[in-house]
Parts: sequence; structure tokens; C-alpha cells
Amino acid sequence: MINAVLYDIALTAYIVAMVAALGHLLGRREGLWRLALLCTQAGWLFHTLAIGLRGAELGRLPLLTLSELVSVMIWGAVLLELWAERVFRVKVLGAFVLPVIVGLGLALPTGLRALALEPAIRSAWIWVHAALALIGLAALVLNFAGAVMYLLQERQLKAKRPGPVYYRLPSLETLDRLSYRTLTLGFPFLTAGLVLGALWAGAAWGSVLTWDPLALFSVVMWMVYASILAGRVVGRWHGRRAAYLAVAGFCALLLTLGAGILLQGRHGS
Amino acid sequence: MTTTLFVAGMSHRTAPVEIREQLALEEDKLREVVAALAAQGVAAELMILSTCNRVEVYGVAEAPGEARAAAFRQLGTHRGVALASIEPHLFAHTEEEAVRHAFRVAASLDSLVIGEPQILGQVKDAFALAQSCRTVGPVLNALMSQAFTVAKRVRTDTEVGRLAVSVASSAVELARKIFGSLDGKAVLLVGAGEMAELAARLLMEEGAMPLYIANRTPARARELAATLAGAAVPFEQMGAVMAEVDIVIACTAAPEPVVRVADVRAAVAARRTRPLFLIDLGVPRNVEAAVNGLEGVFAYDVDDLEQVVEANRRERQREARRAETMLEGEVTRFLRRLREVEVVPTIVSLKEKLEAIRRGELDKALARLPGASAETRAVLEALSQAIVNKVLHAPAVKLRDSSRDGHGRRWTEVVSEIFGLRRSTGERDR
Repeated sequence: MINAVLYDIALTAYIVAMVAALGHLLGRREGLWRLALLCTQAGWLFHTLAIGLRGAELGRLPLLTLSELVSVMIWGAVLLELWAERVFRVKVLGAFVLPVIVGLGLALPTGLRALALEPAIRSAWIWVHAALALIGLAALVLNFAGAVMYLLQERQLKAKRPGPVYYRLPSLETLDRLSYRTLTLGFPFLTAGLVLGALWAGAAWGSVLTWDPLALFSVVMWMVYASILAGRVVGRWHGRRAAYLAVAGFCALLLTLGAGILLQGRHGS
Repeated sequence: MTTTLFVAGMSHRTAPVEIREQLALEEDKLREVVAALAAQGVAAELMILSTCNRVEVYGVAEAPGEARAAAFRQLGTHRGVALASIEPHLFAHTEEEAVRHAFRVAASLDSLVIGEPQILGQVKDAFALAQSCRTVGPVLNALMSQAFTVAKRVRTDTEVGRLAVSVASSAVELARKIFGSLDGKAVLLVGAGEMAELAARLLMEEGAMPLYIANRTPARARELAATLAGAAVPFEQMGAVMAEVDIVIACTAAPEPVVRVADVRAAVAARRTRPLFLIDLGVPRNVEAAVNGLEGVFAYDVDDLEQVVEANRRERQREARRAETMLEGEVTRFLRRLREVEVVPTIVSLKEKLEAIRRGELDKALARLPGASAETRAVLEALSQAIVNKVLHAPAVKLRDSSRDGHGRRWTEVVSEIFGLRRSTGERDR
């Protein structure tokens, strides 16, 4: 299957980009950064093709199985990373986002299990639900990277011992802004996606929260992110606390994906 | 005879300041020296760089050693320094070494403080002075314009000149690492010492404002507030003001800390969690050490800042090594270009010579064919042209190839000899 080959090429390009980006972070070669950027862009193009071909092959949007969902999610995250690197002028962003991308990409379940959806409840809403949630999740990958960078830089500034990473990382303010911006970008999409999913579940099964692990973990994850945002808006949780919570939120996100893959529920498997 | 690119002189590496200061000249004196040397005709091209850390003569001459001696004898005359007393401190480089040296100096890799920005401007001034004295020819012109490009590249592509190497500027740099832009960041000065003033000035140059000054002697606070366009606040209200500002500079002569953990904790609580940067320039320290443990607070004392400066120095050194590698590539490229330039005059005069022969012989032939039609003339013209081009082809290619291999000089001599070209055509400067 050509799309599987394309996907492998994309993932390989992401891996090369990751290694180059980490090399740029720790060493001091501009060439490595350029290589990382080039590989990320090339990988993204192959990834786009792979997703497009898969959609054409299936005759539907490739948003039904978990592997499809994760694939589209990291596709979105790579696109956002390329955007954010430009907008925030954070050359080392790739070194923090790409490991997550590659990790998710490698952990992606290889089987292409379709969700066991009863035909009666299939509706257009499922696509909108999935697409919105994915845009949100992609932005949250960046939110996580921003938080990790913030914590690293904050630690260096507190310890007063500048290491090589200190010189590469941007200011705390930039990193805080990056985290906040990606959170405000991702959260509304995530919320809209989850609400749609809940409404759809209510219509289909007669209950908004039936026993479905993916749905339950999603709610936990949503609450973590909602609390960060609330804390921000109230003005209490800037900086380090927001960063720690963003890391916690991302752990919830990973658990959500893990639950979707491992546990039996209405989202399939 | 061929000419050689050379640089000779003394720098902080080769001569103590007592020697260097005897040769450092101001601009108009320097202009006299350059003009005098040009009049003597010791060098085909000449430029003199004179700063407090170096006095260097860049030039192109048939005998670089003589040119160097003449230049330093001339430089010494203004202060009555004999050449013999200078000579032991002089270094001399030619060709590749000279190119490398020029690039390293312009890029500030040879500076006492690596990466300091003034040197590039000084080199540009020296070049401009030489240009106005009409002692710049094609070689120095190419060398210097390339040196400026290399310097710019080193500046933009490495961190060599970007990291702070003084305590006050390292504080500003840290502020930037915390706040990003310093535009509109409020500053509180506790104490009105000179160091505090300097740090405040540097922060304000970056856009930090407004500035508050709290001092035990209110009169001194008001005085400093007037010079720095700040506002004096009562010393007792320091805590309240701290809740409003982003950066606090403490520099008092108080024997014990004036900024206490309790004050800062209260201020932080009032200001929510915007970060607060405390710069403690006092010795003994003005800020309690435990302040750094508060969330969102970064407190640096003089030792901490020294430590950052030390790290910056090391980082500059590492960046300098990266710059040196970059520079090596540029030296190689420049030499290749210079060598190609070297053979061009020979190719041109060979072409001119063959063209002259062709014209002469063609005119003679046409004179013997008074009734020749336009067509015949055109054929003869094309024929002669073709012969000349074919004859020219092989030597021209050979010269270009040899220049790339570094044998350009030998082959320009051979070609000049064989074709009986003017002797000077093998040289690149006349």
C-alpha cells in the first residue's frame, strides 16, 4: 500500500529532523537546524500525501481508527510547529516538539481497526467531532513542548549556571506566550470537539457519558486544561505553575490516547 | 618581479602597551604617513590600521620586508622612535596568512575582548583613509570588501559578539532572558551608587521605564532621578513600589540586607506571578539570599553575575572556534578568486596582442586586394577572427586552470615570455 510507504518515509524524515534538531540544540551548527527544518517540511509533505491517499482509498475521511486519528494529530502538530517556529522565532522548538511527534508516530498502532460503529448512529457529526478534537490536541502538543522549554529555562535562570541550552532557549516571556497562545488556540477546538462528541453520544446512546474510557479520560484531560486556562485568566497561574500543569495535562492526553487504544469502549477496539 | 600581499605590525599579542602607544597616531598624522609612504613608492597598495590595541600595515609590494621597514620607520618618526626598538615586536604575514589575519581582525576574532564590535568600524575607517589617499588598488579593495562581508557573517551567524562580558551588561542580558523585550518594564533602584546608575542606564537604553529611585538620603535620590528622568520614592515605600516593578537593582552600602524575604514575598503576592528580577550589586549583599527561592523571583548578586559573565566568556570562545572554521572557508575562497584575478591581465594583453597582429595583417592583405567585394572582405575578416580565437583558446584555458591550482604566477610568466608580452602584465597590480 503506497500510503503506508509514504507514511514510513514521512516518519523517517521526522526522525532525521529530530536528531538534527537535537544536535542543533546541544551543538552549535546552523546547518543542522536547516537540515531539521528541511526534513520536517519534506516529512510533512509526504505525510500529507499519505493521509490524502488513505482517504481516497477508503472513500472517507481518515478519521475513524485510532491510528488514523493519531496520524492526523501529529500531522497537525508538525504544521503548527512549523508555524510557531516562525512566529515566535524559536529555532529550537523542533528539538522539543519532534521527539513527541516521533514518539507518537512510533507508538501508533499499526493495525487499521475500524471503529465498531452501529450504522444507525453514523452521522456527519462524527467527522466534525473528530476533526475539532484533533486540531485541539495538535495545539496541545506544542503547548507541552513550550511548557518543557519553560521549565528548563526557568531552572537554568534559578540555578544561575548557564549551560548550552540556556543560550539556545528564548526568554521566559516568549516561552510563556508560546504556551498560552497554543493553549488558547487548542482549548476551544478541544472543547467544541468534546461537546459535539457528548451531544452525539447523547443522541445515539441516550446518555452523554456512557462507560467509554476514551470519553472519560478526555473529560479529565479537558478539566486539567480548563483549570490552567482559568488560572491564567484569573492571573494566578503564570509561568512555572502553568508549565507544570501543562505537563500534567499532556500526561492526561497521553493516558486518553492509551485508554482509547488499550481499553474496550464505544470508541472501538 | 611579482608582488606580494602582506600585513605587518604589532598588536596586543606581540607588543606591550608602552610600545604600541608610541606608534598609535590620530587620523591626520596617519594620513601624512600614508601619503609619505605612497610618495616613496615602497608599496603598490597600502593601508594602515591604528587603534589602541594594534598598529598594522596592509599592503601589496614587490619587497614586503622593505615596505614594512619603510612604513614603521615612517610611523616612528612622529614620536622619534627608532625602527630598531620597534622591530622585535613586529609580526609579518604574507599571502594566505595575511588574508587570514585581515579577516580575523575585521571579524574581531583577534581582539583582546573577542567579539568586541568597535574593531570593524576602525578597519573601515582605515580603509576609507587609504582610499582618500589613493593607495588602494584592486587587491586591497577585494581583500577589505571581503573582510567586511566575513565580519558581518561572523556577527550574524555566531554568538561571538552577542554575549555580555561585563557585570552590568550581563544583568541586562539576563533581564532579556526573563522578560524578552524590556520595553516598558518598570525598574526600581534601591540606593543611588554609580554601579546602580550604570545598570539603570543600560536597562533604559533597552526601553525599560519608568524608573523609581529609593535612597536613604532623599536628596541624592531626587538628584539621580533628575539626571535619569526617573522618580524618587521614599525609602520606606520600597516594598509597595516593588509590587509594581519588574526589575529591582539594589546597590547600597548598607552593612546588612535591605531587601528582605518578607518584603519580596509580600510584593510577589501583590503582583500575582509576573516574574521579578532582583539585581544585587551591593557588597555586602543587599538582598537576602533566600529571596531566590520564591516562585517567579530571580535574584542575582555580584558573584552570580560574575559567574554568568564567566560562562558567557566560555561560550564566546566556543563560538569563536566555530567562527574560525567559517573563516577558513572564506580564506580559501578568497585566495582562489585572487589567483584568478592574477591571470586575467595576461589573458587580456594576450588577446590585445593577437588582435593587433590580426588587424595589421588583415589591413595589409586588403590593401593588396583593392577590388575585393564586400563579401570577400567579410570572409577574410571572419577567417582572421577564427584563427585568433583558436590560437587564444588553449593558453587562456591553461592560465585559468593553473590559477585554480595555485600555479598561476608561473604560467603567466611562461605565456608572457612565449608571446613576448609586456613584462608587467604578469603582475596583478599595475
